[in-house]
Amino acid sequence: MMNDLLHSAPSLSNTLIFFALGASLLMIVLGFVTYAILAERKVMGFMQLRSGPNKVGGRFGLLQTVADVLKLLLKEDTIPKAADRPLFIIAPVLAFAPAFMVLAVIPFSDSLRFSDIGIGLLYYIAISGISTIGILMGGWASNNKYALLGGMRSAAQMISYEVPLVMSVIGIILITGSLNLIEIVDAQKNLAFIFVQPLAFIIFLIASTAELNRTPFDLPEAESELVAGYHVEYSGFRWAFFMLTEYVYLFAMASLTTVLFLGGWHPVPFLGFIPGVVWFAIKFSLVVFIMIWFRATLPRLRADQLMSFGWKVLLPLALLNIFISAVIKEIWF
Amino acid sequence: MNGELIVFFILALVAIGSGILMLNLTKVVHMVIALVFTFLSIAGLYVMLSAEFLAFVQILIYSGAITIIMLFGIMLTRHSDRTESKIGVPRTVLVLGGIVAFFLVMFFQINDLSFGEQATVLHVDNTEKIGVELYSKFVIPFELTSVLLLVALVGAIVLAKRDDEEEAKDNE
Repeated sequence: MMNDLLHSAPSLSNTLIFFALGASLLMIVLGFVTYAILAERKVMGFMQLRSGPNKVGGRFGLLQTVADVLKLLLKEDTIPKAADRPLFIIAPVLAFAPAFMVLAVIPFSDSLRFSDIGIGLLYYIAISGISTIGILMGGWASNNKYALLGGMRSAAQMISYEVPLVMSVIGIILITGSLNLIEIVDAQKNLAFIFVQPLAFIIFLIASTAELNRTPFDLPEAESELVAGYHVEYSGFRWAFFMLTEYVYLFAMASLTTVLFLGGWHPVPFLGFIPGVVWFAIKFSLVVFIMIWFRATLPRLRADQLMSFGWKVLLPLALLNIFISAVIKEIWF
Repeated sequence: MNGELIVFFILALVAIGSGILMLNLTKVVHMVIALVFTFLSIAGLYVMLSAEFLAFVQILIYSGAITIIMLFGIMLTRHSDRTESKIGVPRTVLVLGGIVAFFLVMFFQINDLSFGEQATVLHVDNTEKIGVELYSKFVIPFELTSVLLLVALVGAIVLAKRDDEEEAKDNE
């Protein structure tokens, strides 16, 4: 159904249908964010021998995040007097909008996808870069030295780790011969790229953790040094928007990892009777779990270690991976 | 009036509007943000011309990388800098006259301009076609560009390194 819709002529009713589909995707993502936050707290709790939220909404704290969000929405919305008002207001929007826009190119299953453009991967990488400006703006507009430091760190980190992230994916593009994410998934029908490109997978996983500003790379919001980082001065729903950006990017990055390395909606051999969306969800949840696992087990890096690791270790490895992929492509494919 | 025209007008308006804002705002950081919006709407115009590859490379390079480098430069130096305009009346009138003349020339030229037959299959595999063209017809310019970039990269490293050494000597 969705494929017919994508190839049909544009009209007013189509616009409305796409709007409704986009809105429903947003609702699904918001539901994911609600329970991803709960899952993160629960999993981290169990890993650290405590039980996590368990009061609101039954034994498993199922309504904890809902209550938290309600509290955030009811909080007073403060804008500091010394802040740069227009930029302070526009920054959370500029950070969040790209986070949701990148989801447009992710193919969730054979029939459930919102676009079919030839440069899907490039679109993802290009659009996600705009968020950095939003974060940097938020840090600058707050007119607070901790916020500015956090914003600068965030921008430096996101730029440095975008390079190995993109470089690690080039091997896949070489083998598939396409930037279209749907064609990349189809190329993994028999063998997922995690087995063809193991080095690229490791680089991608590390670089994506850094892109998401998560532990061990959460220097932009290192609470022991910077109070809270780029969003110190934010409160209420503006702060919620920055948090939302972070978790929507988690959703997008886990989806992208699934699509690029874990074979997307394709099933494991002999289990083809389970529908593709379920396979996607299983692989996706696995990636999210690994991200939470990282957060619960690894200590934070120092700023200079972070930079030298990105430029001196990950980048050369990614270049090596491109070279190896080119050789493999020449010999086997 | 079809949808394409509406989108074109919105994008053109945003591009020109933020261009004007960039020139008229006083705070440096605000100017950079206006510049980002200009780049984004120009990318939107590229998408309308079926040049998605160019559009997203534009976003990646200009709004993603170059503006952030600019912001870095600004924030590491004087990030609360302002500009005061000190332009006299005669100069304004002169510039206005120039703009009107330019507009008239462009308007009359574009009015009877004909591009011949309009291409209809531009959107089919255009990224692949760009790649094929780049590596078959334009190999030598492409290689020269890569050498230029390599020289710039090595130059940047040499410059950064020299600073370090001098500091080390100063400290001794």
